[in-house]
Amino acid sequence: MTTLGNLFLGLAALGSLLAIVSLFWGRAMGAKDGESVTNLGYYLTFGVFGALTVSVGTLLAAFFREDFTFQYVVENHSTDVSNLSWLYKFSGVWAGREGSLLFWAWLVAMFGAYIAWKRMSETDDLSNMSLAVFNIVQLFFTVALVIPLNNPFKVSPAEWLGADGELLISAAMNPLLQHWAMILHPPTLFLGYAGMAVPFAFAMGALIVGDGSKRWVTLVDRIAVFSWLFLGIGIGLGAIWAYVVLGWGGYWAWDPVENASLLPWLTGVGLLHSFTVYRRRGGFKKWAIWMSTVSFVLVILGTFITRSGVVQSVHAFQKDNLSLWLFGAMMVLPLVGTLWGIMVRSEEFKGADEFDSLVSKESSYYFNNVLMLLAAFFVALLTMAPAFGGKTYGPATYDSIARPVGILYVFIMAVCPLLSWRKTEGPAFWNKAKWPLVSTAILSVPLLALWYMKLLPVARRTVEAGFPFLLHNFYAITGMMVGAFAVSISVYLFVEGARKRAAAKGEGFFSSLGSILTTARTQSGGYLTHLGIGIILIGLVGSAMFVDEVLTTVPDQVGSTFEVQNYVFTYQGIVENELPNGDVTSRLTFDVTKNGRPIGTVTPGQISFYRQQQTKLEASVIVEPLQDVFVVFQNFQDAAISMQVKINPLISWVWVGFVFTIVGTSLAAWPKKQTLNLLEPATSTKAKPKKR
Amino acid sequence: MNKRARNRLIGVTAIVVIAVVAIVASTGSSDGAYYRPVGEVVNDASLVGERVSVGGEVVAGSWDKKSNPMRFDIREEGEDDGAVISIVYHGGVPSTFGDGVVAIIKGELTEDGYIDSEDMITKCPSKYETATGSLTVARALEQPEGSTFPVNGYVVADSIQPPGGGARFVISETEGDGPEMEVIWEGALPSGMDSGSQVVVTGSLEGGSFVASDVSLAEGEQ
Repeated sequence: MTTLGNLFLGLAALGSLLAIVSLFWGRAMGAKDGESVTNLGYYLTFGVFGALTVSVGTLLAAFFREDFTFQYVVENHSTDVSNLSWLYKFSGVWAGREGSLLFWAWLVAMFGAYIAWKRMSETDDLSNMSLAVFNIVQLFFTVALVIPLNNPFKVSPAEWLGADGELLISAAMNPLLQHWAMILHPPTLFLGYAGMAVPFAFAMGALIVGDGSKRWVTLVDRIAVFSWLFLGIGIGLGAIWAYVVLGWGGYWAWDPVENASLLPWLTGVGLLHSFTVYRRRGGFKKWAIWMSTVSFVLVILGTFITRSGVVQSVHAFQKDNLSLWLFGAMMVLPLVGTLWGIMVRSEEFKGADEFDSLVSKESSYYFNNVLMLLAAFFVALLTMAPAFGGKTYGPATYDSIARPVGILYVFIMAVCPLLSWRKTEGPAFWNKAKWPLVSTAILSVPLLALWYMKLLPVARRTVEAGFPFLLHNFYAITGMMVGAFAVSISVYLFVEGARKRAAAKGEGFFSSLGSILTTARTQSGGYLTHLGIGIILIGLVGSAMFVDEVLTTVPDQVGSTFEVQNYVFTYQGIVENELPNGDVTSRLTFDVTKNGRPIGTVTPGQISFYRQQQTKLEASVIVEPLQDVFVVFQNFQDAAISMQVKINPLISWVWVGFVFTIVGTSLAAWPKKQTLNLLEPATSTKAKPKKR
Repeated sequence: MNKRARNRLIGVTAIVVIAVVAIVASTGSSDGAYYRPVGEVVNDASLVGERVSVGGEVVAGSWDKKSNPMRFDIREEGEDDGAVISIVYHGGVPSTFGDGVVAIIKGELTEDGYIDSEDMITKCPSKYETATGSLTVARALEQPEGSTFPVNGYVVADSIQPPGGGARFVISETEGDGPEMEVIWEGALPSGMDSGSQVVVTGSLEGGSFVASDVSLAEGEQ
């Protein structure tokens, strides 16, 4: 069966190669004569998708049959016996590097087939060339899979298997991956990664044919939003998984793998906003091309970081120079190609940019791009530094950039919809900014009170006195107020838009609001996303800057207690349970009181995985609106229980904001014909959702 | 494009870029650490007082999760007699922490030769052994010298010796009975290994003794 998988991998690679050849050849023969050759390129793109589907299917079937002749299945099959166990047969496909690369290549092929299907009826020059570029990307991926290091169809060594195909060695899926978020996290992230190849392919296509019109952007901008959405969902699920499973009480540690997923998301923000200006104003043309390329390159860099181990261990790549060259080429060639293309096509891609003032919509979009590029550049630089013999950096360095840049960024994001194109007139601006500012002032009162009463005492204990302490609190206060400002402006834009529409159409306020949400989806989706980001920023200030951590031990006797802030935990005993697969779960129970009043129980525990010789901590969390109490049972030794408790302020706000951004972005990505009202006339200075 | 507006734009951009570079430079110098092998950190006196990043396998039995801060040793990865350094770790212990796990530590190398750390990442252990598929002692003793294979057996009572002097321990075919084989092994013993434990040793016969390249407890023992 492994041969079948490899055979279809080979066919997919051949298919991509032939598709590239026929698309270019068809073009050389001219639109009329070359039509059938060009069409062949489209059919071959479907064929590639089909071949990779067989490959993925073969691997998936191997998981369901527990076919241990697949080395990959041996190393990544789940031993779980819960009712999620059948799902882990699917997630086995993306639990390891080889399988996840295959799965990813398959998703790329799916996007390829989708474009081919959409553009089949036109077979216009732009689509043909974009599809050719897309197949080049596809070819790289498929070839990378054939390299032994990445090949998911390696045969298990004979000594691993008994006479009846039973497994003699102990190997299995990493138990930390046996969690619902890990079933969903990789596919969503990979879907986002794969989709980022589409804007790149069309940007290259547009450069090849020299079409500087907004056509290529309108063809791909929904796919770009869709991909960015899935990148965001993937990052969020990863954060949830880290919070719930890794048991260290945080959700973001600036770990190389996390950074890898963040990079294309950051430049993706710049990409989407450049597309907006391109579509609506005919500006930011070169920005849009560059952001497409950079986002794609960062996706490749992300895979390289995640799947090579190049950062954690400097030696990981020495054994596989071929992959290093392949991935290196996939990063360098797009950049070189774009640079060259933009030089050659400079005239066609001259944008109608009008920077009349620093206080204008154009300049806010510009700084949006600059800050995102800057952030991505530094995060990439710091992440990759150890691979080039540099230092490894901890969260303090990343935070030192993320805090000021993030707060400034959210401020620009918040204020952008209030600015006018070209130049913002003072009175008009203040007229629009008036209510959001009042609302920000009102929201700041409870936030500042919270900071003073809850957060400041923690900072006094955890942050170095003097300048660092002042800066820490300055960031905290500014961050909260900017977050409140972003929330206020987004709400104002909806209220104002609905009010105006209701007055003009004689409708009710809420039906107008509903119409705005359903018709002007790009804009209202964008504003909902802005709203979510504002909430996330407030949540980040609390949960990333003011965490209170306590490590303590309790005597192993029912009734013994420990205290954290105003919570008292009373030990009630332990329950141990052996599962049919030999895993042992232990669960401790503590009664919890807050200010003397009982508020329930927590049951932190551990699972010892029999086959993998590994333990997993199972944290127990008390979720309150203003904070989480995160309780971890560390260890059980002699006559004491070692416990770790973290108080994470405002962490729920991060999840709530995350949901808003997902809903908002989904709204913007919803695939339907663009409504005309979004294409505002060039002279309009209105930034709110327009009626029609 | 308005020329004055463009100049201002460039000016503001330059200020932002310079500010970010300055912030990174100032924080990064205190937070960053060079990745160094354990052996280099142990021997290079110039690193004392510097922040370093070191990775190595957690030495079996060297740690006590209960102590706070936790103290443990790590050994150069993949080298059973490699250099060892002590770590004093402040902070929550990751899920995956345990004997043989590769821990990547970042912290300050103190004058007393240990690393004071608040930052640890663990890689997942990749060492699994099973008694199934390995040879019995009797069968092992019939194998030609020099070929490498796994053997399972039971540790003979009171046979475990400190490293550095010939046989480290002796294993027998069944618990307390059957043919016996001396095992030469200089690395750390798996935690929990004791008289009567079932172990899986991998290596080859040399001059009647079994020279092990790996020793681990059999699955049933964990």
